[in-house]
Amino acid sequence: MSALYELSDIVQRYDGREVLCLPQLSIAAGSIVGLAGPNGGGKSTLLRLLAFLEFPVAGEVRYRGQATRGREFALRGEVTCFPQEPYLLKRSVRANVGYGLALRGATDIRERVDAALAQVGLDPARFAGRSWRQLSGGEVKRVALAARLALRPAVLLLDEPTANLDRDSAELVRRAVLSAREAHGATLVISGHDQPWLRAICDDILWLADGRLAGPAANPGPSGAVSDNTTFAGNSGRQS
Amino acid sequence: MNYLVDGLRQALLLLAQGDAATFSAVWTTLAVTFEAMAATLVCGVPAGFFLGYATFPGKRAARLLVETFLSFPTVVIGLVVYAFLSRRGPLGEWGLLFTVPGMAVGLTILGLPIVIALTAQAVENLDPRLRPTLLTLGAKPRHVFWATLSEARFGILLATTAAFGRIVSEIGISMMLGGNIKWDTRTITTAIALETGKGEFATGIALGLVLMGIAFLVNLAAAVCRRRQAA
Amino acid sequence: MRIRIWKHCLLGFALTLLLCVPALADQTLMMATTTSTDDTGLLPVLAEALKKDTGLELKWVAVGTGKALEHGKNCDVDVLLVHAPAAEKKFVEDGYGVNRTEVMYNDFVLVGPAADPAKIKGKTADAALAAIAAAKAPFVSRGDDSGTHKMEQALWKGANLPLPDKESWYVSAGQGMLATLNMAGERKGYTLVDRGTYITYDDQAKGKPALVVLVEGDKPLLNQYSVIPVNAEKCSKAKFEAAETFRKWLASEKGQKVVGDFTVKGKKLFTPNAAK
Repeated sequence: MSALYELSDIVQRYDGREVLCLPQLSIAAGSIVGLAGPNGGGKSTLLRLLAFLEFPVAGEVRYRGQATRGREFALRGEVTCFPQEPYLLKRSVRANVGYGLALRGATDIRERVDAALAQVGLDPARFAGRSWRQLSGGEVKRVALAARLALRPAVLLLDEPTANLDRDSAELVRRAVLSAREAHGATLVISGHDQPWLRAICDDILWLADGRLAGPAANPGPSGAVSDNTTFAGNSGRQS
Repeated sequence: MNYLVDGLRQALLLLAQGDAATFSAVWTTLAVTFEAMAATLVCGVPAGFFLGYATFPGKRAARLLVETFLSFPTVVIGLVVYAFLSRRGPLGEWGLLFTVPGMAVGLTILGLPIVIALTAQAVENLDPRLRPTLLTLGAKPRHVFWATLSEARFGILLATTAAFGRIVSEIGISMMLGGNIKWDTRTITTAIALETGKGEFATGIALGLVLMGIAFLVNLAAAVCRRRQAA
Repeated sequence: MRIRIWKHCLLGFALTLLLCVPALADQTLMMATTTSTDDTGLLPVLAEALKKDTGLELKWVAVGTGKALEHGKNCDVDVLLVHAPAAEKKFVEDGYGVNRTEVMYNDFVLVGPAADPAKIKGKTADAALAAIAAAKAPFVSRGDDSGTHKMEQALWKGANLPLPDKESWYVSAGQGMLATLNMAGERKGYTLVDRGTYITYDDQAKGKPALVVLVEGDKPLLNQYSVIPVNAEKCSKAKFEAAETFRKWLASEKGQKVVGDFTVKGKKLFTPNAAK
């Protein structure tokens, strides 16, 4: 099974304080990996590194077997991150969801926007024309997710996607995110506190605390344990 | 006191009768203001954007300098620009003194600090999540620039309105660099100065009302723009 | 939608630039003159006659005398029409102007309230000023280095009186002639004014002016106007030929007739006196 991401000797610091220290981590293509752990453990930092929005102070991130330094603009074309508190542009919902598509010169923007909105449970007829000011907190989150789903990214990184969502909305998000993998084989990395939710959808769950990966999460998923030194997530239970 | 009422009556008469001198002054005002605003925005918005967005050594000093220039007395601006544009001055060859473009130069210098300072402020106050959001959606540097500008558009519109107000109502620079030549460089404001100097207070008020009318129309257009943008 | 707005703006901008390109006529003569000259209303009449006779287009900026001379020194204009002989002679001596030609004169008058508290009516200029100083009657001065102001200062000097700058009854207005007149009217004081402006002021007041003419005709009150082309040697871009054409025309019979025929509210204002 090919490794999509290979991280080695990663160290990240903010203002001199070490926030992440990963000797070795690989993520398999097409897998769904969960990231659990206490607040401040480094989950968001790791996701930002994987999204090429940040660069480690030391170490290397390889993507599809190649070095990533200097190629971040191109890579961000297929890797997208859904942050904990997403930000909407001061435009209509339609323009927000279609922004990334317009950048890529897509021609079927309207259809994809409508489809993405439907996926997150927002009726395009009612929501597409609304301005960013006219949305509730939950709706903002869902529009932001739709904007990412519409891109059909190769990698979708989600930072606590179900935080502050009611059970029905959380279910919608689960289905939308899974369909991304079904429809075009996206690799997903999802961080969260809701362990049952993560367990239900992830192939593997990594436990991140104080910037370091512990052994497998307290209750490993159906795929089995991971070895001590090398953490290879997403491989278990898959055919090579 | 009666010249206020007389002024109002005269204003309507001047406009209704199509008084040529008045309309010439109106046209000149519009031309000068338009040119000055265009130059101010083209130079000021990118400069303000840079000042607000980028981090560089001396940024705070630059900010302070721009904000100090907000208090630059207009007569001094007029004098300095005159020194440059006068035949004896370094730019005398360009023959800009006593012309509309010459006035526009002075007025641009008046408007630039306003646009730069307010644009920088607008850009600085943008949500820090904007940049990572744009990047993760696949934006290249030029996309980031244009999208950021778009996000700051309300602040920039405010800067434009403020600069417009300052420029359209200005007298000292217009007088000094334009010479108040009838049909050529006489704007509404310099015409007002002339009329009040001659003791024709009612005409002065009349022209003042015409100017307010123009300002109102322009701001109305801006408000409509703002409403449509927000939708 | 946004792109269309930009296109319109750019188009409008380009159009404006085109329409505002200064009239590149070689036949345009730029003149610096004084606000009081402009206020008389003579200039548009002169300009029209000049255009008919010579085809020259006359444009002028009306500023204070000091500023007009500065414009001449800085080569901003091609010719001057001012009325401050002492300053003009220095201007020519310093080489900034050539062929100074006296063309016409009007006169100044001392005006004040009809009640005339300082009793200056009918006196000579010297005696009148002395009376004003003695009575400490309010006097409003232009205070702006204009031709009128210079004339006023010369009068005080001529009467052997110190310049009353610091006196409480002396007000330095720093403004144009009509504004100064209005101020004098408000304060029931005296002031020096050129006849042309006074005629306009009198007419505006519709028969009930706050100030009336009290002293006139005395020699020191005469106001001599001269035309001075800017020296082409100091100002290479100056339109010397056009300036000369204007000067000669104004001094010729035709120009002098226009000057002499000019009236304000039916009253003659200028006396043409170009040397024959």
